[in-house]
Amino acid sequence: MKQEKSGALDWFSRRLNLTEIFSLLTSYGVFHAELDSRKNIREAIAEAKAQPMPSYDQWPRVLGLLAVVLLLIEIVTGSLLAFYYLPTPQTARASVATILRDVDFGRFVHQIHFWGAQLLIAVLIVRVVRFLIRGVYRKPRELMWIFGVLLLLVCFHSDLTGKALPMTGTAYWSSVRALELVGSIPIYGSVMLFLLGGGETVITELTLIRFYLLHVALLPFAAITLIYLHFSGVRRLGQTETGSHETPTRGGPVIRIHLLNQAILFTILLGILVSLAVLVPYPLGDAADPYLTVPGVGPPWYLLAPFGFMELTAPFLPTWIGGTILFLTFTAFVLLPFLPGFSEGARSRGLSWVIVAALLAVWIFLTIYGARVA
Amino acid sequence: MRPPRRAQLTDGLIAGLIGALWTLASVPVSAQEMCGTCHPENRVSFEDSIHHAETVTCSECHGGNPESREVAAAHRGGFHSLTNRLEVPEMCATCHSDLTRMRAYNLPVDQYAIYLTSQHGKGLESGETRVAICTDCHGVHDIRRPRDPSSSTHPRHISETCGRCHGDEALMQEFGLDPNVVADYRSSIHGRMLLEEGSLAAPNCTSCHGVHGATPPGVGDIDKVCGACHEQTRRAFLEGPHYEGMTAAAVSECTSCHSNHAIQQFGIERVESLCAECHGEGSDQAVLGHKIHTLIDSASEEVAAAEELVHRADQAALEVEDPMSRVEEAKTYLTEALPAVHAVSLEPVEQLTRRAQSIAEEVEHELYSKLDRRVAKIGLVLFWFYLLMTIAVLVIFRRRLRSETEAS
Repeated sequence: MKQEKSGALDWFSRRLNLTEIFSLLTSYGVFHAELDSRKNIREAIAEAKAQPMPSYDQWPRVLGLLAVVLLLIEIVTGSLLAFYYLPTPQTARASVATILRDVDFGRFVHQIHFWGAQLLIAVLIVRVVRFLIRGVYRKPRELMWIFGVLLLLVCFHSDLTGKALPMTGTAYWSSVRALELVGSIPIYGSVMLFLLGGGETVITELTLIRFYLLHVALLPFAAITLIYLHFSGVRRLGQTETGSHETPTRGGPVIRIHLLNQAILFTILLGILVSLAVLVPYPLGDAADPYLTVPGVGPPWYLLAPFGFMELTAPFLPTWIGGTILFLTFTAFVLLPFLPGFSEGARSRGLSWVIVAALLAVWIFLTIYGARVA
Repeated sequence: MRPPRRAQLTDGLIAGLIGALWTLASVPVSAQEMCGTCHPENRVSFEDSIHHAETVTCSECHGGNPESREVAAAHRGGFHSLTNRLEVPEMCATCHSDLTRMRAYNLPVDQYAIYLTSQHGKGLESGETRVAICTDCHGVHDIRRPRDPSSSTHPRHISETCGRCHGDEALMQEFGLDPNVVADYRSSIHGRMLLEEGSLAAPNCTSCHGVHGATPPGVGDIDKVCGACHEQTRRAFLEGPHYEGMTAAAVSECTSCHSNHAIQQFGIERVESLCAECHGEGSDQAVLGHKIHTLIDSASEEVAAAEELVHRADQAALEVEDPMSRVEEAKTYLTEALPAVHAVSLEPVEQLTRRAQSIAEEVEHELYSKLDRRVAKIGLVLFWFYLLMTIAVLVIFRRRLRSETEAS
């Protein structure tokens, strides 16, 4: 018969499976050891502490963890903003102005929310490029790649829907450009446009409330789910060939050192985020006027490349063909592991630097072109 | 084969009946007015008019016997064809100068008397029939109210109506008048405001020349005519030295600098060269012109900068209602400075521009310090100091842990 302990932890432990809850939380990357949920929480933690950390948990392979922290910051600041935001075209800008002007720390929270989103997207792009180079899409990591790329896609959509919410002139026309771009894709485009705004490429009450719903409920849920699935892959397989989690590194640091590393990283991240929010404030802008096109407004920066492609091919390709090419290119990118010749091969090798550099060069060229014609 | 005789007779009767009905149906509703039977175009045109709507009949102007269908009988008994232009104004005046008839319409009854004082009326008195009479401007049978947008006397159509004669080169040459006045007016700020922007506040020909008493305003009267709208400008002008000097020298007031029909909006930069045109380059007056220009120009720049800053602050969602209303106030002073220029003295302009400039500077100062967010930046430096301390502590702690691990 086991002796009953009387701490608060044990009180809860007798009533809830704390090990399972803890395991679920750690699934978001705090550490990647798999815990045995049948064991007591104290035992499980002691066991995890005793394990040497696998190599993939160290500097600088922490981009995924950074993304989780940034997503958490977005959820917290976003909830605070939602206390005051009113999602109708008539009240949207005024309510954001109220947040910025009258609510205590409203401006700061708004700026953190904006810059957090930008950093999140930047982190995820770097991460996808790293996966490409390190070959984190080869068998058996196909799903990790797909979840990772889909996560980036979800974050793009979050940014797109979020930017439209203040209903300022730039936000309005930027969203219209983005909707036009989506609309150029046959079938998929018309379905998306119908879902988002009744088939129109203008922002109405319905579009705005749907953007809002996507932004605050559906997309965050999708992101949380994808991160969970993605990290499940990481826990099972590790990120790279050396990172099978049974393989400890030579004299690897224990979990406390790992947690300290994370603390240092988050401190630096916090510093960068606050500096950006204070030094480079994102302006609110004028109220949107659907009858007045704001000159020089293009789609959001990550959509400039497809926008540039459409503009470049417009003189000699019908829109629907351009749209189809974009759609197929993107689908091929998501399903990269299942393309012939990509899944097999040395797992440590990804695409060669030359190919990645070439892909990036095309992307950057189209982005610059898109920015110039916008 | 020929149809039977009886059938022919019936056909003829039916045809006759239809014909009679047709004729009956087409006569005017008023059984007494038969004029339209012979003068259908006049009847159609008359039916559009205000006179028809107010049940004025043909015979009230033309006399005769309107009930008769015989030409000779109808044109008997005090019939006027009114083809003699000399008779027309007097005929119109029989009603339009009749106070008892016009009172119900709240119409003035002095138009005929005023007309006789006009250049047109005086010409007619002396037997000149080519001058404008009532019907030239108001129309003959299809007279409409001036407020009717399709009327030839509606403000938007006045320049067209006057231009029918005053734009006619051959006709104007005979009277020694400038035939370009209408074209000039249309190109002017007044004409463009009325005809292109549709602002009924802008003057048409009659606003300056009078309506029925059309006469060009003479020297000494021009400032009164322009001053009817440009009140502040006139007040400043009368205070300054120009008024007395110019009237004494019989130089037209406002129009000498601004021109008359082709008047354009003056930019303040025009003052730079304008003074020297009469007073000569290097004169005290030319120097004054430069000074006035500099005052207004620099104040306008300052106010524009303040306005731009308010816009920037609005984009950053700062509280801008107060600064915005102050910029409006500064702009009002600037607007007042332009009429004040007409006193051709430095002091009134300087007072206004100084006020505008100081308000603009105040607003700029206030908004710059808000946009600059110095407090937030100082806070950021302190925050980084705290972060670096934290990082240092964490690094030290990690080093100790690592050496412990390696030792064990």
